[in-house]
Amino acid sequence: MTPPAASVGGGLPPGARFAGGAVAGPPGWHAGDAPADRDLAQCVACGLCLPHCPTYRLTGLEVASPRGRIAAMRQVATGRRPLDRVFEQAMDLCLGCRACETACPSQVPFGRLLEGARAQAEPGRAAPARLARWIGLEGVLGHPPLLTGAATLASLARPVLPPRLRRLVPAGRLRRRPLAAVTEPSGPRRGTVAVLRGCIQDLWYRDVNRATVTVLARAGWRVVVPAGQVCCGALHAHYGHLDAARRLARRNHPVLAAADHVVANAAGCGAHLRSYGELIGADDLAARVRDLSVFLDEHGGPPLRHRIERRVAVHDACHLLHAQRVRDAPRRVLGAIPGVELVPLEEPGRCCGAAGLYNLLQPRMSAALGAARAESVDRSRAAIVAVGNPGCAMQIGAQLAARRSAVRVAHPAELLAAASRP
Amino acid sequence: MAADPLTLGLYARDASIIEGGCALVVLPSSADEVQACVQVAAREGLAIVPRGSGTGLAGGAVPLGDALVIVTSRMTRVLDVRPEDRLAWVEPGVLNQDLADAVRPHGFTFAPDPSSQQASTVGGNVATNAGGPHCLLHGVTSGHVLALDLVLADGARVRLGSEGPLAPGYDLRGVVVGSEGTLGIVTAVCVRLTPLAPVVSTCLLAFPDPLAAARCVAACIAQGLVAAAMECMDQASVRAVEQYVHAGYPEDAGAVLLVELEGLAAGVAHAVAELGTIAGAHGATSMRVAADEEERGQLWKGRKHALGAVALYAPHYYLHDCVVPRTRLPELLADVYRIAAEHRLLVVNMFHAGDGNLHPLFVFDRGEEGVLERVLTASQEILERCVAAGGVVSGEHGIGLEKRDFLPLLFSAADLGAQACVRQAFDPDGRMNPHKVLPAGARCGDFAMARGDGDLAAAVRSLPAGTWI
Repeated sequence: MTPPAASVGGGLPPGARFAGGAVAGPPGWHAGDAPADRDLAQCVACGLCLPHCPTYRLTGLEVASPRGRIAAMRQVATGRRPLDRVFEQAMDLCLGCRACETACPSQVPFGRLLEGARAQAEPGRAAPARLARWIGLEGVLGHPPLLTGAATLASLARPVLPPRLRRLVPAGRLRRRPLAAVTEPSGPRRGTVAVLRGCIQDLWYRDVNRATVTVLARAGWRVVVPAGQVCCGALHAHYGHLDAARRLARRNHPVLAAADHVVANAAGCGAHLRSYGELIGADDLAARVRDLSVFLDEHGGPPLRHRIERRVAVHDACHLLHAQRVRDAPRRVLGAIPGVELVPLEEPGRCCGAAGLYNLLQPRMSAALGAARAESVDRSRAAIVAVGNPGCAMQIGAQLAARRSAVRVAHPAELLAAASRP
Repeated sequence: MAADPLTLGLYARDASIIEGGCALVVLPSSADEVQACVQVAAREGLAIVPRGSGTGLAGGAVPLGDALVIVTSRMTRVLDVRPEDRLAWVEPGVLNQDLADAVRPHGFTFAPDPSSQQASTVGGNVATNAGGPHCLLHGVTSGHVLALDLVLADGARVRLGSEGPLAPGYDLRGVVVGSEGTLGIVTAVCVRLTPLAPVVSTCLLAFPDPLAAARCVAACIAQGLVAAAMECMDQASVRAVEQYVHAGYPEDAGAVLLVELEGLAAGVAHAVAELGTIAGAHGATSMRVAADEEERGQLWKGRKHALGAVALYAPHYYLHDCVVPRTRLPELLADVYRIAAEHRLLVVNMFHAGDGNLHPLFVFDRGEEGVLERVLTASQEILERCVAAGGVVSGEHGIGLEKRDFLPLLFSAADLGAQACVRQAFDPDGRMNPHKVLPAGARCGDFAMARGDGDLAAAVRSLPAGTWI
C-alpha cells in the first residue's frame, strides 16, 4: 500500500479563502438610508433567484442578477469597493420588480435593499441627472398642480414626441371632471372605503378610478375619495428619495386612515401603501390597504348582470404578484364575470419592463422586455389583457400598438364596471 | 467581456463559501467565440475557469489568481429536439429546468434534477455529473449524456461520444462528464431524453426521528420497492422550508420522507399500498399522498428550496455531500448529529435517502469567533466516518476546491496518479481549471515515484518521452 500523495484536508490553495469573513475597511456608505447589514446577511448566495430576474435572463451577467447586486452592495458595505459609477449603474439596471423575492427561499428583502442602495447612489450622480430626478420626483410628482401641468404639456406635445415616447402617453383629452368626494352605495351600506386616487392614474386613467368607485358602490360600499391625498411616494422610495417618500406618506396617513378600508387600484401604489408601516410606522393604515381585486375577492364583488364573451389574459403587475404576493384574486374576480374565458400568458410573472420610471431611464432594456411581454399577450389569443397597474398598462399598450395588435388593455375595474351595469 | 473590479469580484465565488479572484470575465455566445477565447488564453498562458450559473457547492467554478473566467450564461439555445431519437442538442448555458420545459410538450424530460435545477446549467450538470432526487431511479447525469462538443485547452475542438447507443473507442465522453472543467470547456451537449411517467404519485411520510426514516428507506429497498425518489428532511429542515413554501409539511414530525412512485396506474397504486405497510412497520406516524399536481409541486418546491431556506437560522452554510451504503445510513446520521453536538454546531439534514447520499448542512454565522474552524473540523470528521463506513466523499456536488484534499482518504497515490495522467493528456499545461479536483501532489511524477523503489532518477527514466512531471 502506497502512502497518500497529499495530506488529507490540507485546506485551500493559495488565492482561495472562505467568504464572508473579510472586512477590508469601514462601510463605504455615507450617512442616510443604506442597505442594512442584517438584510445583506440574509442572502446565502445560492443563486436560485437568477432565472427569475428579467435583466439576468436577458444579459446573462452576474452584475445584472439579484445575487450579483447584493454581492455588489456587500463589497461596498465591507469597504472593498467604493460607491462609484459602476455601482450606480448596477443598481440602475434593476427593474425593482421583486420577482427575486418570490423566488428566494431565504426571503431576502431585496426591494428594501435596492431602495437603500439607490438612496446611496443618488448623491454621486452627475448633476444633470440629479436635477432631472429632483424636478421629476420632488417637484412634479409631489405637487398635484405641477403634475397636472406636466401631463397637459405631454398630452399637447404628443403629436411631436418621438414615437417611443408618444406611444407611452395615452391619447385623448385629460379628464377634467373630478371624482365625486363621496359616492353612496346602491343598496344597504356595508361600510366606508377610501379610494387612493393616485397621481398618474388619476390624470391619465381617471376612467379607471371612476370604474373603481362605481364597482365598489355597486358592491354596497360608501366610497370616499379623500381630499388632501397626495402621490403615495412609491416612485420616490424606489428611486432613492426616501425622505421625500416619508414626507408624502406622513401627509397621506391621516387623510386615508379615517376610512374602514383603503383600496388602491394601482399595484405599485397599493404595495407601497402596505409598506407605510415599515416606512413611517403607520401599521394601522398599512394593514387596512387592499388592492381592488383582493378587496372584492375578500368581501364579494358587485352583482354581475352582463356577459362579456371574451378571452381575457391577466398580466400580473410585479407589485401585485411579487410585492403583495397576490396571484389568484384578480383571476377569481374576473373569472366570475359570465362569458369571460381566462387564458394564461407564457412566462407568468415576468415583468413588462415598465417598472415605474424604468421605461424612461433604461429604454433599451425596457423595450426588450415590453416587446417580449406584448408578444406573449398576442400569442395567448386573448381579446383583452387585464392589467391592474397604470405603468404596465401604458407599457403593454404601447408595445401592443407597436405590433399593431388588436388586443385591448383594460383594468379589471373597467371590466367589472361593464359587467355590473344596472 | 468585463474587467472592472466590481464585476470581477462578483465572479470570485459560486454558491459554496470559498472565494477566489480572477483577472478577466468573458461571456461568449457561441462555440466559435469560446474557441477564440480559449485560443487567446493559450497564447497568453492564462488559466481558464468555466462557469455556468455559479450554483456549485464545492468551489468548482471559483477562480484563483489571474484566471480567465468563461461564463456560458449567454449560450442558452436549445439547438435541436429530436423526440423520435429521444435526444436533444443544447448549448451548455441552457438551464436544467428550461431543458425539461422545452422537451415536456414532446412527452419527455431530462432526468437529472438537482435541487438547483431551476438555476443550474446543463453544462454545470455535466461538469459535476450532477444527481438529484430522481436519480435514484434514472441514474446521474453521465447516463443521460450521449455526446458532447469540447474545446480543449489549446483551442482544438472535438466531439466525444455519439448520438447512437454505442460509440466505438475509448469512452472519453464518460471521462469528461464529472471532470469539472479540468479537461476542456463543453460547448454543446447531446442529452438523452426520458419519457414522462404515465402516473406519478408523491407521498409524504412523517417519522418520529430521521433514524427511523432512514431504516424505513433501507427496508423499502430491501423489499424491492422501486421508487423514483426517496428524500428525507429532518425537523430543522422541515421548519425552515415550511415557513417559505407553506406546503403543509408536518412541523411537529422528527423527520419526513418524500417518496415518489411512478409507472403505470396499477403498479403505482400497488407500490403506494406497499410503501404504507413498510412505513407503518417502521414507525411512520402519518402518510399523505399528494392529491394533485399543485400539491406535488408545492412539496417538491419545499424540498428543492431547503438549502436557501436555512437562512432562517443563520447567514452562512456549509453543505456536505457524502455517500454511504444505505444500510449504514441510520448509524451515519447518528454520527453526524453527535459530531455536530461535540463541536457545538447546528446541523440540518436533508438528503437523498434512497441513494444513501447525505447532505449534512452546517448553519452558522461567520461573525462568531472560531466557528469556521469548528465547521471545518466537524466536516472532516464526518467525511472520515463516511469513508470508514464504506462510503465516498462526494455524491453529486463534485470535488472542486472543497474536497480535493480529501481524495487521499479514498484513493491511493497510484489511483490518483492514474487520474492525473488523464488530465495531463487533455491539458498538458495544466491551465484548465487548475487546483481543482485532484490534490496538489497527485501528478504523473508522483505516480512514477510510488511505483518505483524511491529512486527518483530511475523513476524519471522509466517514463515515456514527453511525460510532464
